[in-house]
Amino acid sequence: MAREITIDPVTRIEGHARIRISLGDAGQVADAQFQVTQFRGFEKICQGRPLAEMPSLMARICGICPVSHLIASAKACDDILAVKPPKVGEDLRALMNLAQIVQSNALSLFHLASPDLLFGFDADPAMRNIVGVAKSNPQLAMDGIYLRKFGQHAIELLGGKRIHPAWIVPGGVESALTAEKRDEIRAMIPEAYAAADRALVWYKSNLLNWAEEAETFGAFPSAFMSLVDADGNVAHYDGRLRVVDHDGTLLADFDAHDYADYIGEYTDEASFLKPTYFKPRGIENGLYRVGTLARAIVAERFGTPRADVELDAFRSRFGRYPSSSFHYHQTRLFDILYGIERMEMYLDDPEILATRVASHAEVNRNVGIGVAEAPRGTLIHHYVVDDDGIVQTANLIIATGHNAAAMNASVLQVARHFVRGERIEEGMLNRVEAVIRCYDPCLSCSTHAMGQMPLHISLVGYDGEVLDEVRR
Amino acid sequence: MTLHRPLVIAYGNRLRGDDAIGWVVADALRDDVRMEPVDVLAVQQLTPDLANEITTASRVVFVDARLDPALTPGVVAVDVVLPEFDAGLMTHNVGAGTILSLAEALYGVHPPAVAVTVAIESAEPGADLSGAVSASVSQLVETVIRLCTETSNA
Repeated sequence: MAREITIDPVTRIEGHARIRISLGDAGQVADAQFQVTQFRGFEKICQGRPLAEMPSLMARICGICPVSHLIASAKACDDILAVKPPKVGEDLRALMNLAQIVQSNALSLFHLASPDLLFGFDADPAMRNIVGVAKSNPQLAMDGIYLRKFGQHAIELLGGKRIHPAWIVPGGVESALTAEKRDEIRAMIPEAYAAADRALVWYKSNLLNWAEEAETFGAFPSAFMSLVDADGNVAHYDGRLRVVDHDGTLLADFDAHDYADYIGEYTDEASFLKPTYFKPRGIENGLYRVGTLARAIVAERFGTPRADVELDAFRSRFGRYPSSSFHYHQTRLFDILYGIERMEMYLDDPEILATRVASHAEVNRNVGIGVAEAPRGTLIHHYVVDDDGIVQTANLIIATGHNAAAMNASVLQVARHFVRGERIEEGMLNRVEAVIRCYDPCLSCSTHAMGQMPLHISLVGYDGEVLDEVRR
Repeated sequence: MTLHRPLVIAYGNRLRGDDAIGWVVADALRDDVRMEPVDVLAVQQLTPDLANEITTASRVVFVDARLDPALTPGVVAVDVVLPEFDAGLMTHNVGAGTILSLAEALYGVHPPAVAVTVAIESAEPGADLSGAVSASVSQLVETVIRLCTETSNA
C-alpha cells in the first residue's frame, strides 16, 4: 500500500514550502519532493515598468538578499543601455554585494542552521531554536548578530538605508563613498574577522558530531556552477559562468549572455518553484548545484589569504570535490571570511573615493542580461524592453531554482536513510527538513509572516486515510 | 550619558498589497516633525539581529499588518509585547516577542514594547493598498506618534 508523509510547512527556511515523502508497499521511501506552495508574481509585475525603475523594484523581491537583485538588475540595465560603469562604480556595487554576502550568510548559518548543529538533530524543539542558542552559547549568537549588523550597516552607509537601497542604478551608483563612511565601515572589520574566526573554530571542532549527516545530506555526484574571475577564482560581482562535474571535469565555461544555451527551465505541477537543468545533459540528468559549496568547488581559489587557508584545510579533509551538501554550512563561513577580506581590500584602495561613479546613456539595445552570485548562488536577470525602455518580458532565475533538483535528490537520500515505515520521529523528520536548510532556499520573495507556522507532519495512506500525524 | 530614544520598527513587503502598510506608515512618520526625537526603521521582516538594535531604545513600537479573516479590514489595534518564545515558532520570521526575548538573553535588557497592527484585506502580489487599509493610515500614524511622544515626554 502506497503511503505519504508530508512535512508542511518546512520551518526555518525563507518562505513557505512543504516536503512530501511517498512510501512504497513495504514502508520503504519510494520518492520525496520539496514543494514550494507560494506564488511569485514578480516577473509579471515587471511588465510595463520603465527600465530605470527595475533595480529598485527588483530589490523589493527579497528582504534578505535585495542587493543581489539590485546588482543583477542593474547589470541587465547596463546591458540594455550598452554602457559600462566607471571602475569605482563597479567597485562600489561589488562592495555592497559583499556586505550582503556577509550578512545573509550569517543569517543562514547562525540563526537558522546553528540550532541543529549546536543541540543536535534529536534535541527538543523547545531548545533547538535561536533563543536556545542565545542561552546556551551567547558568544555564537552574538557573533552571528554582529556579522549581520556589520553587513547591514555597511549597506546602510553605502546606500542610505539597509533594506532596498535605491543607490545602485543603471550605469553605476548614485553617489560616491565619503571618507567618513569608508572609515566607519573599516572600523568594524577587526571585530568581523574575530567573529568569523570564532565561528570557524566552533564549527570545525564540532564537525565529528555530524559525521552521519555529513555522509547522507545530499552526498551524491553532481555538477556545480558558479561565476569565476579571469584567474578562475571566486567572483561574486562579475565573471564567466563555469560548470564542472563531480570529478572536476570542465563541462562548460560561458558568458552569461549565452545562459539559455546551457541552462534550461521546466515547470513542476506540484510546485511554484521553477527548476532548472544543465541543458547539454537534459532534464533527467541535468542536476547541478549552486551557492557557497559550488563556489568552493568550481573556483580554483578564493584569492584572499584567510579564506584560502580555510579552503586548503577543507580540501585536505574532504577532497578537492566534496559531494555532500552538508558542507554548504562550512563554505558559508568561507564566503563570510572572503567577503570581509575583499571588503577590506576595496576600502583600502584610495580610488574607492573617486567621484565619477556612473555612466549615462539611453536605451541602445532591446535585450539585457545581468548575472551575479547571490549568497545562495547564481542569480540571472533577463529583460526585453521596447524602444522606449518599457519592460516587455522579464525572466528571473534565482539560486533556489538552480538547486531545486538537488534539493529533491537530497530529501530523497535523507528520507531513505533516516525515515523508517510509518513511525514519525522528531529527529528523523527534522533531518529531512535540515537537508533543505543546507541550501538555504530563499522563497521569501513574496511571503508575509502570518504568525506561527506550525510544523505539520502527516502520514497518509493511498486512500487518503491519515495513518499518523504530528504537530509542534 | 546616552539619551535613549523611542524606536519604531515597521515591517512588511511593499509588493504584497496591504502588507506594505508598515512601510507606508514609516514613510509618513519620517516626514512628521513630531517624530524628530524618534528613530524609524522599516524592514521586510523581523530578524534576530534586531535584538541588538532595540537594546539602546527607550521604547519600541512595532508596526505591522494583520491578516485575519475574522477582523474587519482597517481596524487598528495596540497590544503590549512581552518577551516570549513559542517553542513552535521556528521560522526565520521571528516575532516581536522573540526579539525581546533574545535581547534579554544576550544583553540582559529589553525595552518596553507595543505592537500597532491594522487588519488587512489581502497580501497578494500588488503595489496598492486596499481602500479600507489606505483609510487607516492617518489613524495608524497618529497612534504611533502618541505612543512615541508619550514615551519621549515621560
